[in-house]
Amino acid sequence: MNMKKPLALLLAAGMTLGLAACGGGTQGSSETPPGSSNAPASETSSGGAVELNLWSFNIGGFTDAAAWEPIVAAFNEANPDITVTVTPINYQDGDQKLTTAISSNSAPDIIFEGPERIVGNYAREGLMVDLSDLWTAGGSDIAEGISSVSQLDGTYYMYPLSVAAHCMAINYEAFEAAGALQYIDEETRTWTTDDFVAAMGAIRDAIADGTLNLATPGIIYCGAQGGDQGTRALVNNLYSDYFVNDDGTSYNINSANNVKALELLRGMVDDGSLSANASYAASQELQAFANQTCAVSFCWNYSNYVQYAEQTQFTPFAMAFPSDDGQPELEMAGPYGFGIFDNGDEAKIEAAKKFIQFVCDDQTAGTEAVKVTGFFSVHADWGDIYEGDADADLRAPFALMSDYLGRYYNLTGGWTEQRNLWWQFLAEIMTTDAGSDIQTAADEYVSEANANIG
Amino acid sequence: MAQNAPAVAAQRKPKKQKQSQFSGMSKALVRRETISAYLFLLPSLFFFVAFVVIPMVICVVYSFLEYGIGGVQGFAGFDNYLRLLQDEVFHAGLRNTILIVVVAVPTVTAFSLWVSSAIYKMHAFPRSFFRCVFYLPVVTGSVAITVVWKWILDPYNGLLNQVAGTNGMDWLGTQSTALWFIILILFTTSIGQPIVLYVAALGNVDQSLIEAAQVDGATKLQVFWKIKWPQIMPTTLYVLVITTINSFQCFALIQLLTRGGPLNSTMTIMYQVYYTAYTLQDFGYANAIGVVLAIIIAIFSAIQFKVAKTD
Amino acid sequence: MSTNPAAVKVKKTDLSGTSTGYKVFAAVILILVALFFLFPLYWIVTGSFKDAIEINARYPIWFPQNPTLDNYLRLLEHPALRWLFNIVFISVAAMVLTCLTASLAGYALGKKRFIGRGVLFTIIICAMALPKQVIVIPLLQEMTFFGLNNNIWAVILPTVGWPFGVFLMKQFSETVPTEIMEAARVDGAGELRTFFSVVFPMIKPGVGALAIFTFVNTWNDYFLQLVMLQGDEMAYTLPLGISNLQGEMSSDFGLIMAGAALAAVPIIIVFIAFQKYFTQGIAMGAVKG
Repeated sequence: MNMKKPLALLLAAGMTLGLAACGGGTQGSSETPPGSSNAPASETSSGGAVELNLWSFNIGGFTDAAAWEPIVAAFNEANPDITVTVTPINYQDGDQKLTTAISSNSAPDIIFEGPERIVGNYAREGLMVDLSDLWTAGGSDIAEGISSVSQLDGTYYMYPLSVAAHCMAINYEAFEAAGALQYIDEETRTWTTDDFVAAMGAIRDAIADGTLNLATPGIIYCGAQGGDQGTRALVNNLYSDYFVNDDGTSYNINSANNVKALELLRGMVDDGSLSANASYAASQELQAFANQTCAVSFCWNYSNYVQYAEQTQFTPFAMAFPSDDGQPELEMAGPYGFGIFDNGDEAKIEAAKKFIQFVCDDQTAGTEAVKVTGFFSVHADWGDIYEGDADADLRAPFALMSDYLGRYYNLTGGWTEQRNLWWQFLAEIMTTDAGSDIQTAADEYVSEANANIG
Repeated sequence: MAQNAPAVAAQRKPKKQKQSQFSGMSKALVRRETISAYLFLLPSLFFFVAFVVIPMVICVVYSFLEYGIGGVQGFAGFDNYLRLLQDEVFHAGLRNTILIVVVAVPTVTAFSLWVSSAIYKMHAFPRSFFRCVFYLPVVTGSVAITVVWKWILDPYNGLLNQVAGTNGMDWLGTQSTALWFIILILFTTSIGQPIVLYVAALGNVDQSLIEAAQVDGATKLQVFWKIKWPQIMPTTLYVLVITTINSFQCFALIQLLTRGGPLNSTMTIMYQVYYTAYTLQDFGYANAIGVVLAIIIAIFSAIQFKVAKTD
Repeated sequence: MSTNPAAVKVKKTDLSGTSTGYKVFAAVILILVALFFLFPLYWIVTGSFKDAIEINARYPIWFPQNPTLDNYLRLLEHPALRWLFNIVFISVAAMVLTCLTASLAGYALGKKRFIGRGVLFTIIICAMALPKQVIVIPLLQEMTFFGLNNNIWAVILPTVGWPFGVFLMKQFSETVPTEIMEAARVDGAGELRTFFSVVFPMIKPGVGALAIFTFVNTWNDYFLQLVMLQGDEMAYTLPLGISNLQGEMSSDFGLIMAGAALAAVPIIIVFIAFQKYFTQGIAMGAVKG
């Protein structure tokens, strides 16, 4: 917006030509060239004040910058010389935004996300700052399962805030009307695979005879990678198998049980008790669930519950994924936490660490922040932070899900590439008329995914 | 426009003989003219060099590097280019891009010519009404048009399924239909400009020739092919060029409707550049695809300019 | 462009039965296709006034039964007016800068004989068809290098660099008679004065055509906006903002249609008001040497 910018550009013309002269320039490499991307932002840092950029995925209630305001304000009381600008990003195109920013040396200073990106992708590429000192200072009461996924080869790159489990949800009233409540255990919120098949069949029949005004019982979304934890967990739980083999050396979707699960789902799509849509991403499936277009959502957690609460004219009832033995193992939602991009500015890194420590380790601020995510604190010493809250009831079902946490495998090598293959693989076996052979397609998928696992 | 044509021709003639550009000019005059010409060109050249030429050079350099979000890992030689030969996504992209161009360009050209011939003799009001209607999708903007189509084609809440009674049909999620809808929407956003051009061109066709031919008993079809068609040929070539460029460059449609899916059935080379760079995080390879795309387009343009010259 | 009396006469002489049948057929097809073209626009505008129930109905609701402004109010919870301002500013700035630089350059290429002219023109022709996607990675890095990350000038500057305008203005400049320029020079006018007082007025229609072209194309250049501005919500343009609303978890069509209407309706009104200039400009843009 600055009208002086074009003038500055004219002055920069010489620099540009110089850049071309030295062979096309490698200013795209990860080393920050002197005086480049940080130049405009760091003009303030010379004066003692530091300006931090925080990019926050929409985790729990952190859907916009306003959600961060109280936390940032509290932080500023103690640290008036550090300003924090929050940019909200979402799972639909957040990856592309981050890659775009990284490619042009304008990565944010702090990112709020889970280990699969912070550790599995960015730290592996050497973009993140070592956060081991934060762990030494405040991480003694964080569970082993969380600490092990926050590190890569012994170095910590993420500092966690909260943890929860992904689950699914059903439209309670629709299940009631279709007589399908008999198939779920409302107490434990679990169901067996057979129950799931029977329930979805009942919904389909209720739609067919006009009892229910829905378009389809449920949608397997395979149009983009966002929310793919839902489809992964659905497949894995049906016959109690894992997405990655025991020692993490191979993707496992071509195992006998997983193929059996995929065949079951394909059969359900064929007989109309599920739909598969290659034009739908998780966000559209959620919207369809909220609109009563379909009766279940495979992409549920507390944050979606909050986000859609206003729109839903029914009771979204959180459920674990169906499992043949009735013992679900859910994918961990998060742990969610912070990472720092190494932008080469020591002052910024120090300031960013201060901010992270404030949000994660200060019990007052930390409790507030965790409550915004709607999940649970990683600090065992803090106890139940929701105790006595007015809305404790609403959170109870999601607390229940934490009992079903399974293995965390999102740090397996080649995770980013795998995610991109997964939804296309699902689209291939679920939506093509040809009905490709599932075992063959799964073998192919595993061999492609394993190519990057090393 | 018609009265401009002779002037253009007159100006061009001396330049046809390459060597004679400076004939009759003293060396000092040539120098003075060169300096003043470049001063006039300077502002424009600055933008052109800074934001087109230099990025293009860097792009070529990158295409020979092994380069991802972790930075430059090394020199890749021709590896990025060799990968293209085996990359099924690239092959799908190439196929789809060619299909889009081969289907969209002739249909847009033929249909806009038909519409123009039907409306150019109408009274001022209906003529400008139709011209306006067909141009509306262009001004409405690709994003607004795309999001409304996304809604119309939605499998559960979309109007198309409701009207056609094909409940749950996933037009954009089915391999055999997705690309055709992309082409259809591209068609609606591409036709406005050619119609405006053709209406103007047809209005300028020499009426006395048409009358003379009709007195000689020529049929309507003969009049069209023998008299009008040759006279609107330059417009046709221009329409072909801009429609080809448009078809190559359609991005918003694919990004907002299908993201290249399902199963790469709507992947285009253009989209693959973006997707490889910012989803797959492989900048070296993305630039190699970009360079190949630029070469393909350069060849297309060269052919079209060649054809334009020989006519 | 005006209706030709000769044409009317000709029609009478060769009017035959099949021709009338064809005319009816053509009229019907034209009207049907026109409806097809108008429909998305109708659906955007009516959709933006529908409430959530009607938006999600599973049977067609052709007209909002309970028109509501709710979608617009929710749209305004986002900085939508800022997005509108940004896209207008970008389009106008790109238009002005392009017209200025391109008419200067086009004049030099069209009317001056100088060393390197042929080579330069060839490069410009080659670059004209080059898609921006090809060079986007280095271009974005360059913008960051200049500190223009997520700044709307990062969209304006590359747009001005696109050489189509130079090509177009060269074609127009060539039609300016050399004698007039000579006369001005004899009168003692300098180069710049010759250009602004003699050449520019003569190529004005061409500048108008270029202005319209640049404005519409910049408004619609979603790709460049996406790559250059996506990191800062306040730098979004309206098209980018709409697509982002669609991408977020709570994508709902009522809200998106309100955004689409806000993006489409102002420019359509401008278009209808200046329709004559638009169509003349576009037609003139096709003048080729």
